[in-house]
Amino acid sequence: MSAGGAFGGNRGVRPVPPEKGVFPLDHLHECDLEKKDYLACLKSTGAQSEKCRMFSKKYLECRMGRNLMAKQDMSELGFSDADVVVTPSEEKHKLQSPASDSKERK
Amino acid sequence: MLMLLMECHGSLFLRRERVKVKPGESALAFYTAENRSSAPITGVSTYNVAPMKAAIYFNKIQCFCFEEQTLLPGEQIDMPVFFYIDPEFETDPKMDGVNNIVLSYTFFKVKE
Repeated sequence: MSAGGAFGGNRGVRPVPPEKGVFPLDHLHECDLEKKDYLACLKSTGAQSEKCRMFSKKYLECRMGRNLMAKQDMSELGFSDADVVVTPSEEKHKLQSPASDSKERK
Repeated sequence: MLMLLMECHGSLFLRRERVKVKPGESALAFYTAENRSSAPITGVSTYNVAPMKAAIYFNKIQCFCFEEQTLLPGEQIDMPVFFYIDPEFETDPKMDGVNNIVLSYTFFKVKE
């Protein structure tokens, strides 16, 4: 499969466009907080994305709310209702101190 | 679990990150780009997956790539990629020993 040349990338596999399109750049940094929460979670879990799904979901929801991403059902993007911050009180705790939430995570 | 290392090239200063992902689960990863020049930079990004044999299992749901994007002088911007590794990755014997996948982006400047 050495179809090369597109975009100058001639390393074999032809680049494939994303399934659901392109993110416009967040020039106004409108979703920085959600991004930072997600990255803080990654840091505290040793970069395990499955443990931070609620934060990536919030980030994508932020984008959708600000026209930085086409609105779609989160289930279409692989999220379930289980991908939420655990309890309201824990959520409040997380919002106050996003980097210190590893107590209930293995 | 796979590690997804990210790199980037081109005229932008960029940072490398690492994300551990499970095949079949959608995941979000961020690149950060900074235009350290004194002029706007407009370009298009394309990606490369290594090892090449793993590329068929790498699926981008949404990304910043493929369309022209402009960074103003001094601007720092996040460039997210939302993706998943096809679950069939786990059952392909050719993928044995592939524990790290490197996703690289190259940013090609567009002449205006």
